[in-house]
Amino acid sequence: MQLHFATAWRDVAFLLIGIKFTVMLTVLSMAAGLIIGLLAALARMSSWWSVRWASAFYVDFFRSTPVLIQVMWVFFALPILLHHSLTPFAAGTAVLSLHVGANLAEIYRAGILSIPSGQRYAGLAIGMKGRQVMARIILPQAVIRMLPPMTNTFISLLKDSSIISVISVAELMRQALSLVEYTMRPLEVLTVTAFLYFCLAYPLSLASSYLHRRYLSV
Amino acid sequence: MILGLAYQWHFEVVARYFPSLLRGVVGTVEVSALSMGAALVLGLVLALVRLSKVRFLSGAAYVYIEFFRNTPFLVQIIWVFNALPIVTGLALTAFVSGIVALTLNLTAFLAEIYRAGITSIGPGQREAGLALGMNRAQLYRRIVLPQAITRIIPPLGSIWVSLFKDTSLLSVIGVAELMQAGRVAAVESFRPLEIFSVVALLYYLLAYPQSAFVNHLYHKFRVRE
Repeated sequence: MQLHFATAWRDVAFLLIGIKFTVMLTVLSMAAGLIIGLLAALARMSSWWSVRWASAFYVDFFRSTPVLIQVMWVFFALPILLHHSLTPFAAGTAVLSLHVGANLAEIYRAGILSIPSGQRYAGLAIGMKGRQVMARIILPQAVIRMLPPMTNTFISLLKDSSIISVISVAELMRQALSLVEYTMRPLEVLTVTAFLYFCLAYPLSLASSYLHRRYLSV
Repeated sequence: MILGLAYQWHFEVVARYFPSLLRGVVGTVEVSALSMGAALVLGLVLALVRLSKVRFLSGAAYVYIEFFRNTPFLVQIIWVFNALPIVTGLALTAFVSGIVALTLNLTAFLAEIYRAGITSIGPGQREAGLALGMNRAQLYRRIVLPQAITRIIPPLGSIWVSLFKDTSLLSVIGVAELMQAGRVAAVESFRPLEIFSVVALLYYLLAYPQSAFVNHLYHKFRVRE
């Protein structure tokens, strides 16, 4: 068996284009997901039954179904309903945002519920409205507790972005598969690709361990 | 954008393909059970290696675990299916490749869960055991592992639920599970909307009771110290 890693390193520029899209997908989806997740978590505590139920269903559905089926549905099935097709990148970002939004909603909810209720009553007692209590007292404290699990969610999102390769967005996995077809060297190309993903995710993983130790250990 | 009203749903297509979708579900369960079974054993072995006093063994286990936890599962699947045959000279079928990839991946995650469970048993217990004259093997067998098991069960349940979802990625190498059955049905019937909606619904219906059970496990086995 002769390894031809020279091939893989020469074509690494092709793979780097993929990294650009992977990072774009991940960062955009995380940003959108942070907003969607917060709205869903707050909706979960609404006084209207239907809003609570809708939020719970959204979170449950997107956490219980695989990302792949969500991607296939949004890219192949949704355009039939909307009579309008999304670009692959837009579809990929939309699906990842909704998926990570559901996961983040659970993290927000856990963080908010972990703040002792005495804090909320104290805020209400001095005349704050519910919204002010949430914004000024609960969320600022909860954010610290949420940061470690959110880092883990970000790492998972980075890995899940590889699934968007099935709808031909030029992110790292898709570039790798194209390169495998072109160079006929799956071993070298896929090994380098795995290494590149590792280089992206491992520092985040170390950061997550640090955050867990710093903010969450008792 | 009139959502769905102008579209005629053709659910008879679903009826025609439902048996193949159900066969896909069976495939999903098969693949999940086989890889989870293998990984439960291998994960424990790997966790014990990771906890070994020999720096080389512990480090090697660390590298394995971090590699499989920090790379996408899709990359691992395709690597096992396309690249591993070049290294080993064996051409594995998609089904076997899928199980190998799942097992390798799960072993890394389960090893971390086992490790966390084992190290959560306080040092006081170990010292008591050592004071009574037990050696390390007896310590593990009689004191540490029996207590660690209750702490490990809920995270194992979570891993099972996400395993179920990850099997859908095996469809890219053609393993006969639910997602693959859905793709084939969608292409043959030209009705991706109905088929994919039903596939998503099937995954949801399968996952919901399992998630509820895992929540129950977290409640039942919560640590009371």
